[in-house]
Amino acid sequence: MIKLLKIEWKKIRTYKVFWILLGLYFIFLSAGILLAEFMINSMVNNVNNRMPIPFPHIAIYYFPDVWQNVAFFASIRYVLIFPAIIMIILITNEFTFKTIRQSIINGMSKIEFLISKLIIILLMALVITTLIAAGTFMIGLGHSGFNDIALLSKGVPFMTGFFISLICYMIYAFFIGFILRNTGLAIAIFTLYSLIIEPVVYFFLRAPFIFRNTIYTYLPVNAVIRLTEYPAIPTLKKLMGLDLQPHVSLASCFIPIGYAAIMICIVFIVMRKKDI
Amino acid sequence: MSSILLTDQLTKSFGKIQAVRQLSFEVKKGQVFGILGPNGSGKTTTLSMLLDLVPPDKGGFSWFGESPSRESRKRIGSVIESPNFFPYLDAVCNLRIVADIKDKGYDDIPGVLRLTGLYERRNSKFRTFSFGMRQRLALASALLGDPEVLILDEPTNGLDPQGIAQIREIIALVASKGTTILLASHLLDEVQKICTDVLVLNKGKMLFSGEVREVLAVSDSIEISAEDMPALKNAVSQFEGFSSLTEADGTLQVHFKGPVSAMEINTFMFSKGIVLNRLSERKRSLEQHFLELLRENV
Repeated sequence: MIKLLKIEWKKIRTYKVFWILLGLYFIFLSAGILLAEFMINSMVNNVNNRMPIPFPHIAIYYFPDVWQNVAFFASIRYVLIFPAIIMIILITNEFTFKTIRQSIINGMSKIEFLISKLIIILLMALVITTLIAAGTFMIGLGHSGFNDIALLSKGVPFMTGFFISLICYMIYAFFIGFILRNTGLAIAIFTLYSLIIEPVVYFFLRAPFIFRNTIYTYLPVNAVIRLTEYPAIPTLKKLMGLDLQPHVSLASCFIPIGYAAIMICIVFIVMRKKDI
Repeated sequence: MSSILLTDQLTKSFGKIQAVRQLSFEVKKGQVFGILGPNGSGKTTTLSMLLDLVPPDKGGFSWFGESPSRESRKRIGSVIESPNFFPYLDAVCNLRIVADIKDKGYDDIPGVLRLTGLYERRNSKFRTFSFGMRQRLALASALLGDPEVLILDEPTNGLDPQGIAQIREIIALVASKGTTILLASHLLDEVQKICTDVLVLNKGKMLFSGEVREVLAVSDSIEISAEDMPALKNAVSQFEGFSSLTEADGTLQVHFKGPVSAMEINTFMFSKGIVLNRLSERKRSLEQHFLELLRENV
């Protein structure tokens, strides 16, 4: 395990593309989270200009709701795509440079190779989640002060939910990269599917009077993103009639985990059967 | 000599093409074993199977008398086709990854870099390396941890004469230390210069296998002349295994169906009362032999 980690670390330690993408991810993420309240309130102001009774301004950075809100904004598909692209690059590089072949020749087992990539996914998800949790804690502290351990109550479920989203989404990316073996193609198809195809399909499946079922909840990317479905903004709830998600439901975790598990199985089978 | 590699009826097809057909051979410790064959004869497929990159359809093989595993692969250093490294990492870092995979320490790294003449460039990124340097780095990585067997697939392919000389020098040095070498090549000259043993492969089939020395020793044509040329012609045509003769410049070039030694001819002529004033064996080069083998098996 440690050995595999040492090997993977050498591959990314001085890899500029990896660090630049990771940096961009954090910049996008921080900017999104920090500007979210401002943007929501400028919309509120806009609406208030035409309304006789003004809506109160919205605050999203106070405990305990900040956990849920950050988890929501961090798993928006435009942001979540960054770690996925990083994962696609890390796996397709091995095919492009033929280093996967060389690793097997040098005595690594095929299973070990896959495990080393899964370790990277796990570790990246862990590091990102920890950093985001720490950042969220600071934001919450700055806006509402910390006087009760209960304020962390929402932190554990929503950060865990985010962690699961991140892992599953990166496994999807790993799967696509592994199957297609080509960096450009894999990124194009993955991005196209995540950002365009699936939202369109989702839109039609959800259209009222057409499908009276919940099949849309089984769309793979959607299932990942919907783990933390809505931000906790009580005013919005009243305004738009949205149901506030009280917690991350265990049942909703099973869908992305199921997809990820199937993909990992396929990858292991392909690795066994196919020539490298 | 203990057996390093033993293959048994190795067979592999890609679709309709039979890449390797029932290949059985043995490589013993200390041999420099050449697999010789034209492009597409199944050399790389054979090596790929031996390194677990491609599963054989039928047959099997054993390394060091054991069934193949990643532990056995760690005792083998190999350069297959192109050098595969991370372009954005320097030579040392790339070799460290290889050492990690092979469970070897980093102590060997400066040594193999010096041996392959890359020590000065050890901190340069792989992508800045010339083709010859890349090939030498591949060789350096194969030599990490002092492997018992070195597998080389067309090690000098695409190199300039200087690069070829450098690689051959390194191979000769490694072979002189007693490392067993398995080398695939389509260059006869290379096999002739480097190898002790050779296996000739064409269209996936083994045509011939034996010591290079033995192949070279085969002679089936002899040049002779004597005072009495008509008597000589008459006598030689009675020799067992005689095939044909051509006369030119007062000498006879005699071909035989099988290998013949000068001594046999001399003894035979003497018994016929003919004294030869010229007798020389015409040894076939490996190349002629190789081409003949290919022709016979079209």
